[in-house]
Amino acid sequence: MSMEGKTRRITIDPITRLEGHGKIEIFLDESGNVERAYFQVPELRGFEKFVEGRPAEEMPQITSRICGVCPTAHHMASTKALDALYQVDPPPVAKKIRELFYNTFMVEDHALHFYFLGGPDFVVGPSAPPQERNVLGVIAKVGVEVGQKVIAMRRKLREILAAVGGKPVHPVLGLPGGVAKRITPEVQKQIRAVAAEAVGFAQFTLEVFHDVVLQNTDYVNLILSDVFTHRTYYMGLVDQDNRVNFYDGWIRVVSPDGKEWARFQAHQYLEVVAEHVEPWSYVKFCYLKPIGWRGFIDGADSGVYCVAPLARLNASEGMATPLAQEAYREFYATLGGKPVHHTLANHWARVVELLYAAERMKELADDPELTDPHVRTLPTATPREGVGVVEAPRGTLIHHYQTDERGIIQKANLIVATQNNAARIAMSVEKAAKGLISGHRIPEGILNMVEMAFRAYDPCHACATHSLPGNMPLFIRVRDPKGNTVATLRRDFDGSIHRDA
Amino acid sequence: MDCGGHGGVHQEGEALAESGGSGARIRILCLGNDLLADDAFGPAVGEELRRSIPEEVEVITTQAAGFSLLEEVLGATHLLVIDTILTGRNPPGKVFTLRAEEVEVFPGNSPHYVGLFEALELGRRVCLPVPEETVILAVEAADCTTVGGPMHLRVRAAIPAVVRLAQGIVQGWRKGGARQVS
Repeated sequence: MSMEGKTRRITIDPITRLEGHGKIEIFLDESGNVERAYFQVPELRGFEKFVEGRPAEEMPQITSRICGVCPTAHHMASTKALDALYQVDPPPVAKKIRELFYNTFMVEDHALHFYFLGGPDFVVGPSAPPQERNVLGVIAKVGVEVGQKVIAMRRKLREILAAVGGKPVHPVLGLPGGVAKRITPEVQKQIRAVAAEAVGFAQFTLEVFHDVVLQNTDYVNLILSDVFTHRTYYMGLVDQDNRVNFYDGWIRVVSPDGKEWARFQAHQYLEVVAEHVEPWSYVKFCYLKPIGWRGFIDGADSGVYCVAPLARLNASEGMATPLAQEAYREFYATLGGKPVHHTLANHWARVVELLYAAERMKELADDPELTDPHVRTLPTATPREGVGVVEAPRGTLIHHYQTDERGIIQKANLIVATQNNAARIAMSVEKAAKGLISGHRIPEGILNMVEMAFRAYDPCHACATHSLPGNMPLFIRVRDPKGNTVATLRRDFDGSIHRDA
Repeated sequence: MDCGGHGGVHQEGEALAESGGSGARIRILCLGNDLLADDAFGPAVGEELRRSIPEEVEVITTQAAGFSLLEEVLGATHLLVIDTILTGRNPPGKVFTLRAEEVEVFPGNSPHYVGLFEALELGRRVCLPVPEETVILAVEAADCTTVGGPMHLRVRAAIPAVVRLAQGIVQGWRKGGARQVS
């Protein structure tokens, strides 16, 4: 770190920090063209050891505390894993409260993502300089009033999350067999009002998407471009009619031509999902076990699949609510039918899902059974093993616990969205790198293209959620066929680009 | 934009400010996760400060990130952030005093990691009552990703120094002498 001059700019050298963390490794062949490229994401270490020997009922709190970004998704997946572990079926109202709570969270998270987090890439525009691709650029584009509207909606949603879940950020709602607290008629009234407003807000957001994004020909062309297209399998949770569901149902996988390839319950996941390890990366790449690992390649013969909003829409046959179903129909009509293989279409898919989450929130809020006080079935069975699944905002999330007869954790396994997407992220980074590097020529433009390629997946980095300055700089290392470093490129926080050869 | 009305603050900002925090004008935000090795530094300092800081100053300990932090600080005039930093060029335990305006905001590797500073600037742009002055006390960390890992000895050893620095900064603000912090 250096602090220079009167205004004291801070520059943080990324190299040591990124060693073994978020970095891109590019391997060249003898001709100086890209042979292979990897994007490495940091992972938490020691999780399994830490939870070993702890009571299983602590897991919804522990797992939600580990993640500072989407603790609600971990809390709910963990709670459902406890249902399975204790072989207990929650009463109908408990399931409704959980689903209502979860959809409220999805409205909040998807809205935040659309406007402020993903917005820099597609509202400000992919070709804008990094200095402008941030939330301030988004506000400049959509207007201060829209920013205020988003923040106001978010506040109301968080009040609902606090009223139902105990706390807005780290909920204490889920228990094996139900929930900790009933919903009173007063709280139901509050939820109904906010849910109705959320539906209007989601419709407004769809209009914003049409006006700001779809009217921008450059961006639409980028969505459809080959660089951001991969033909892989898609995974997502669906209800009994194969419609998108965030809270419960079957995990459905469709093939690159959109046909159903698998439909299974969470506890069967190990029959379908396996993990591949590469010598140059500590990331475990998930793939479809029956197909096998064939490398980082597209197509029906490759076990690579992906998750997240686009994958959920592809893996389903529609949305369970009317306005979202209409938005779903328009999505596929505009993008040329199912499945859509363009990674950047994730942003549009997220708005379709936002509408569904708001409508589903309203349906559940209006349910007369919601205030039923019978919110828990006490578990009585001896625990042994349990698997729980939800759709986190960024994709399918699985929690798997094994315990002794006292419910003490012997083994825990979590599969998070970024692991499901890891292989396809690597393929996208590689495609971007291949498009720009040839014959040992390594242009600086690769930094932006590679960044766009992996940001589209919104990957989860275990660390850097708290540590200053909050964002990691970009670091690319290029190696020859023998593994020797031939060049490094990095972009620091101040936007300066450094090259070492 | 001219924020106008309500003393220069949008009415939504007032509603937000009322819905979060204690209403304290001076707040200390201790960031970090006590389950993640050196990331426990912020919460550990927070625990010490609660014993020694005047009641009218609010100490908030949280492992939340990005926009979730915005609601915690609305309505405060002065904000002190306690956090870890990973420069990789300094020994673990080295303490930095920074001002928010010195930290540049750039897109990160993932859209869902938006920093506190970006969130504060957003709040300012949409006329929310964000703090007028933000100071950061950061300690160089060695490891923030090992679940259940211990804090590095030098990071732990920095706790008393950071507590004293925090007390001094808060004392300066209480006397109306924010300029004393540099």
